[in-house]
Amino acid sequence: MKCLKNLKDSGDKAFVAYIMAGDGGLDKLRGQVEYLQATGVTATEIGIPFSDPVADGPVIEEAGNRALAEGVTLDKVLLEMKDWDFDLKIPLIVMTYLNPVIRYGAERFAESCREAGVSAVIIPDLPFEHQQLVEPYLKKTGITLIQLVTLTTTENRLEDILEAAEGFVYAVTVTGITGVRDELTQEVKEFMKTVRSKSPVPVYAGFGISRLEHIEMLREDVDGFIVGSAIVKAFHDNKIESIEPLIHAVTQRNPV
Amino acid sequence: MTKVKICGLQELEHVRAASTADAAGFVFAPSRRRISIEQAAALAAELPESVEKIGVFVNAGLDEVLEAVQKVPLSMVQLHGDETDEFIRSIPVKVVQAFSVRDIEDVKKLERSIADFVLVDAPGIDFRGGSGRTFDWSLLGGASIDPERLIVAGGLDAVNVGQAINSLAPYMVDVSSGVETEGNKDADKIKIFIKTVKGDSMQQTTGTVKETGFFGRFGGQFVPETLMKAVKELEATYTEAKDDADFQADYHKYLKEYVGREQPLTYAARLTEAWGGPKVYLKREDLNHTGAHKINNAIGQALLAIRMGKRKIVAETGAGQHGVATATICALLDLECVIFMGEEDIRRQQLNVFRMKLLGAKVESVTKGSATLKDAVNEALRYWVTNVEDTHYLIGSALGPHPFPTMVRDFQSVIGRETREQILDKEGRLPDVILACVGGGSNAIGMFHPFVEDESVRLIGVEAAGEGVDTDRHAATLTKGTEGVLHGAYMKLLQDENGQVQEAHSISAGLDYPGVGPEHVHLEDIGRVEYKAVTDEEALASVIKLSRLEGIIPALESAHAVAEAEKAAAAMGSDEILIICVSGRGDKDMATYAEKLEGLA
Ligand SMILES: Cc1ncc(COP(=O)(O)O)c(C=O)c1O
Repeated sequence: MKCLKNLKDSGDKAFVAYIMAGDGGLDKLRGQVEYLQATGVTATEIGIPFSDPVADGPVIEEAGNRALAEGVTLDKVLLEMKDWDFDLKIPLIVMTYLNPVIRYGAERFAESCREAGVSAVIIPDLPFEHQQLVEPYLKKTGITLIQLVTLTTTENRLEDILEAAEGFVYAVTVTGITGVRDELTQEVKEFMKTVRSKSPVPVYAGFGISRLEHIEMLREDVDGFIVGSAIVKAFHDNKIESIEPLIHAVTQRNPV
Repeated sequence: MTKVKICGLQELEHVRAASTADAAGFVFAPSRRRISIEQAAALAAELPESVEKIGVFVNAGLDEVLEAVQKVPLSMVQLHGDETDEFIRSIPVKVVQAFSVRDIEDVKKLERSIADFVLVDAPGIDFRGGSGRTFDWSLLGGASIDPERLIVAGGLDAVNVGQAINSLAPYMVDVSSGVETEGNKDADKIKIFIKTVKGDSMQQTTGTVKETGFFGRFGGQFVPETLMKAVKELEATYTEAKDDADFQADYHKYLKEYVGREQPLTYAARLTEAWGGPKVYLKREDLNHTGAHKINNAIGQALLAIRMGKRKIVAETGAGQHGVATATICALLDLECVIFMGEEDIRRQQLNVFRMKLLGAKVESVTKGSATLKDAVNEALRYWVTNVEDTHYLIGSALGPHPFPTMVRDFQSVIGRETREQILDKEGRLPDVILACVGGGSNAIGMFHPFVEDESVRLIGVEAAGEGVDTDRHAATLTKGTEGVLHGAYMKLLQDENGQVQEAHSISAGLDYPGVGPEHVHLEDIGRVEYKAVTDEEALASVIKLSRLEGIIPALESAHAVAEAEKAAAAMGSDEILIICVSGRGDKDMATYAEKLEGLA
């Protein structure tokens, strides 16, 4: 994840693309990652489908249900990634709810992630308080557990979480679940400024980011953006090219 | 709190990892973990004053022991050989005497020890102390050893230590091979073990809920970061309200004046006669305003919401009883109310849907997944995440992230407290058996909680077996489930081998949930409560029985408890007493009864 730090130092912004593993079949995943890499994303976040994704809005939930219907599991996704032999230049981040990890075994999960070339893991229902359930095993295999902070994170907690943060901090832009939003509040801008002033690692804004206006509004206050629902939807609708302007608006310093 | 000893330390890195333990053990006996007195002194110097330094010996000479005590210096000595009482008396620091316990004879030897502490271990292989195999804890069951003198060792690790602590409540736990990887100590494992025992982790220790909200290993706060503030705020508010006399007075006033408590403990003469066994009593939660126990909890939480300045309420409902109770209390206290309910449940419980609407609540139909309670909880949680700043999630059972399971239990404990007083009043003694149905587990935990310490009272929770526990259409989470995390708590779940939560099935909408409250899982784990499962068919048969014999038409949920009670009664004598919690009345189930029991009823 060192590349993310280098990117921050150079002043460039990161674009992290979230995809739901196995939406449309697990054999699509590789091509999707290759496409995103070619389009210039900084990192890819690979979502593992879960039966009860309470942090997700309808777009990702439905994609997850489609993937589950295809028989996609955590194990299968990691095995698929392990087999990739193309020239992978961008970090892979796994996003999964906690229960599949517990069922799989945290130690084994860390080991399989390492074999699959995973750099970082995001577990939205594993709060800071309980992270030793998984974090020590990830650490042993050199994988980063990404911390989330939100608009409702209290000041003391924010300091504790940021102090422990590695890789990047996932700063949630809405009080709510994932999904495309029309507008972000002004409060978000202030929040990003606060988090960035205190964070030892790059700060990426995510949840609801789907429009050029969002990027413009927060560009100066964050180190990068995480885009999920908009990409999942575009892949599902076979219109992924429509996302390219959004990616380029972030990654190209002077977008045309 | 149980203390932790990390034993067999040889390297600085591991000594540092053990610096938050209560004791560090240095082995001077022949073993691959053996070190010299000089090495031990160097390592001990790195440890804080507060950490006990314990030297481990097997049949060493007194001179050697005394030299180590002085040079390291050691604050305790642990003896694994055939040392005499005289030898023990000659040691100037506290002594731990270790015993390999294989049978009752060994337990007797241990009871006679004059040492300050006794350590029990599985029989040794590599040297006389510490084999790393798990000790059969049940052997100690009858031993007359003060737990304050007891140290437990033998095959412990972060996974099983919770069970050791729960079953023996020892003064200290001692770990060595359980914090090793391939024969060497592992700093991460040492840290995890310490955290595990000292709380702040899944494997929280003793039987009562701690600040992090664990019952044994179950519970916790597994929620997205956005909800953490609300969960913590609720925790703080509840902690304070619980001990506030005004709050309690207010709550009890509503229970009395509005719900109509206390509810009778009715002697069921004809049921007693029909079953030909114990005297049967019924705790009449069916007589509560709105028709079930759910309102006991709804009032308590609504008052808390107001205390937090939140005037919007979101809730989930299965049978609709909790939804009705919540809508009712929101009408009474002028709170805004949104209820999520699965489409399938809306179909089964039309009457309750209409009641909620009449009471002014907004009922949101959930069509996702199995369109039952689990999916309604998902949607309620999403709604809460989005509206958390001004909305309280009024959860309907002893489920969810801490403090919900504790708080709901406390609000429902009025059931068990009344029952206890009433039975003592009527019979002059405690009952032999108490049964309650278990969906999420709120009426059961409320009934059981005041009796948990009374070992003579057998407690039986009754789950829904649906079409049978060996089919894939049941809701018997405790009987068939496995451990996992859902809706904020580490508990038991119906799930597949990949950790995907499965749909539950029961004719009773209120029991149709694939998880179960964490305290129940703990009570099962420590063997205090038994959990049985009753099929749809058995429950329906009991509906007829209770209706015909006692003139009480029970809710389908409660009928599960009645069905199991009949089985329990078959093995009981006429001098025994059995109590059933009738959690609710059958009005809401009339459509189902008409459909299923047509021709019979
Ligand atoms: C009458 C009745 N009993 C029992 C239950 C099950 O819930 P719990 O296990 O929380 O008591 C319900 C739930 O809706 C109910 O309505």
